[in-house]
Amino acid sequence: MKLRFLGGLRSRLVIVTILVTVPMVVLLMWLDGRARHRAAAYALSDGITRRLQHPEERTRCEASPSTWGRPRPHGRPRPADVPDGPPRPRPRPPPPMFPMGAPPVSYAYDEHLVSANPAAPLLTAADRRKLDESSMAVLDRPWYGDDVDVLVRTPWGSGPCSFVLVHGTTTPGFIGALLPASPIWLLPLAAVLLAILIAVGPMVARIRRLTAAVQRSAAHGFSGRIPADGHDEVAELARAFDAASREVQAQLAAKDQREKTLREFLSNTTHDVMIPLTVLHAHLTTLREAHASGRAPDPLILTAAMDEAHYIGALLHNLAIAAKLDAGAPGMIKGPVDLNALVTRVVSRHAPIARQRAIALEHAIPEKALATEADVTMLEQAVSNVLYNAIRHNRTGGHVALILEPRSQTRFRVRVIDDGPGIPPEQLDRVAQRGERGHAARTRAPDGQGLGLDIAHRVASLHGHKLKFAESEYGGLEVEIEGDQIDPSSLRKDSITSA
Amino acid sequence: MPERILLIEDDQELGSQIVESLKKAGFEPTWWRTGRHVEAQQLPGLVLIILDLMLPQTYGLDILKELRSTGAEVPVLVLSARNDTADKVRALKLGADDYMTKPFWPEELVERVRARVRRPAMQRGDALEIGKLRIDLASRGVSVEGGAIELTRVEFDLLAALARRPGVAVTRGWLVEHVLDPDREGNERTLDVHVSRLRKKLGAGVRVETVWGIGYRLGTEAP
Ligand SMILES: Nc1ncnc2c1ncn2[C@@H]1O[C@H](COP(=O)(O)OP(=O)(O)OP(=O)(O)O)[C@@H](O)[C@H]1O
Ligand SMILES: [Mg+2]
Repeated sequence: MKLRFLGGLRSRLVIVTILVTVPMVVLLMWLDGRARHRAAAYALSDGITRRLQHPEERTRCEASPSTWGRPRPHGRPRPADVPDGPPRPRPRPPPPMFPMGAPPVSYAYDEHLVSANPAAPLLTAADRRKLDESSMAVLDRPWYGDDVDVLVRTPWGSGPCSFVLVHGTTTPGFIGALLPASPIWLLPLAAVLLAILIAVGPMVARIRRLTAAVQRSAAHGFSGRIPADGHDEVAELARAFDAASREVQAQLAAKDQREKTLREFLSNTTHDVMIPLTVLHAHLTTLREAHASGRAPDPLILTAAMDEAHYIGALLHNLAIAAKLDAGAPGMIKGPVDLNALVTRVVSRHAPIARQRAIALEHAIPEKALATEADVTMLEQAVSNVLYNAIRHNRTGGHVALILEPRSQTRFRVRVIDDGPGIPPEQLDRVAQRGERGHAARTRAPDGQGLGLDIAHRVASLHGHKLKFAESEYGGLEVEIEGDQIDPSSLRKDSITSA
Repeated sequence: MPERILLIEDDQELGSQIVESLKKAGFEPTWWRTGRHVEAQQLPGLVLIILDLMLPQTYGLDILKELRSTGAEVPVLVLSARNDTADKVRALKLGADDYMTKPFWPEELVERVRARVRRPAMQRGDALEIGKLRIDLASRGVSVEGGAIELTRVEFDLLAALARRPGVAVTRGWLVEHVLDPDREGNERTLDVHVSRLRKKLGAGVRVETVWGIGYRLGTEAP
């Protein structure tokens, strides 16, 4: 609570105001004190000089140096002032030289600065030295006090009245001599403080309201608006908060969307994988039963089981790529791709399953490496899907060939040819023209709307490849992917490292 | 001498299966169940390292980086369960030679290992030797089991083109374009005629195989 108070805008302003005004007030008081000291010293020295020029003064002083110089009560001549002779008409007293100050008192000192007057202040050597330079000296007195002492050498300068010290006071001020005479200076200070408080008060209130609004908005997931009225900095702050909260809201919404996509993806994946997995379980159970009853395992079932396992792998890869494609192009990482190596990898991935199904899988790559710019995972999966289709939708004893060759100086093409059932010409267009599909159809579709070709299509369009479907010369399907080549020298390890 | 392969794979089941497949394929695998740095004295005789990317404690690519920083050139085949382009690009940058994504069949692994370990075709100067077949590219002489065989220009070019990559299919299109006389009208049928003539001349000792959907290939296995 204490910290809160110290940290509050209002109290901080007050503290700052005090910190700034107090030194200024002290400075002003110092200047004022000095000015008043100087004025008083001037008046005192002026008065005493005038008095000492009076020839009688010497006589009077030397007559009773111990009492000379006491202030005279006004109106009535003091006995010391008139030691002998009848009272003479006094000259009109000079206009008061020490307005409002106490009347000055003088003390006489002999040559050794020793006074016969017991009330006379002791003089120091330093005071004495001041007189070496001139006939008059103002003694050092603190600026905040009201004492003013002026030491004068008398015109005759000898005897018990060689020196005279006049003691006076400055004009009295507010709280003695400490503060300037008029408390009027307090007024601007108070006014400034008041002005600050008046200006800051509503501001503080508005900032508090804004804080409450932001806290409310945050508590509700930044869903509410933060009101911003006016055109000053506080309103600007409110608008900034509002913009920030809307940004947070948008980000949260995007995150929610991503999470939803991910959840959907997971549930689709689970669904899609569970089916072939269940089929696989059934195959394995059949195999185990055959084994238990002493029969040789049915090679067809064995092949089907392996097929299913292979399909699960391909499906998972496809689902992962589909998730990346759904996330948009930023998920793509393009780079130089060695097409020869890619084709070889795809063939060796599916060769075991083709062998199992007694399908002859052949491939050809050019002697010189072909390269292209692509996301290697996506392109590989596209080629893999096309090749796997040719194997999977083929008959036992069928043939599949995968050929990579330059199409021209700057183009390459990958062809997959099979002699399976193919796709009837009236359906070929539909397969060839398929664009992006929704998530819902992410299943093995008997109606020819599978995930495999969908990915091939999307990868091709992302890479600017041409994807063509035709009836192969062997009666099956021929699929062609055509794209741009790049200089295969970019495939060298050293150039990959420096890229 | 059996070829030594170092397998760095933390999964017990997968590791022992890979070791089994490699042994069956005639390799001599050493299996490390945890990732650690490959010391220089372990390198001699090592023909390949199979490195799993996701190892506990160590990051597989760190092992690869460390290995390449010592200048070791042994091929590295990276295994990864993540089909991730960034991983692949990073692995290749750090000096991996190839990568394989799980799941894979044992046959696929063995084939990929063989492809990595396979020595380049026997070619001494201008002479190619594939089984019983010998081709002198400079003098354009061909012999099977020592017996010289007369070939036409097209037949020789055809055989030489196939023999440069024995066991690899070459497309009809390429052969028509590069082997047949460009001055004379030539198509795939003409090519087939040349091939059947070549087969007859070479006899049963050399197999010029027809590859379905592609073209021809020089067989590497003895008939
Ligand atoms: N080479 C082919 N021969 C015959 N039919 C094919 C061939 N390729 C594709 N098809 C037909 O086109 C359909 C769509 O193929 P697609 O790859 O998109 O899906 P899928 O293979 O059924 O399932 P998946 O999503 O697992 O790949 C297939 O279901 C099949 O009927
Ligand atoms: Mg498919």
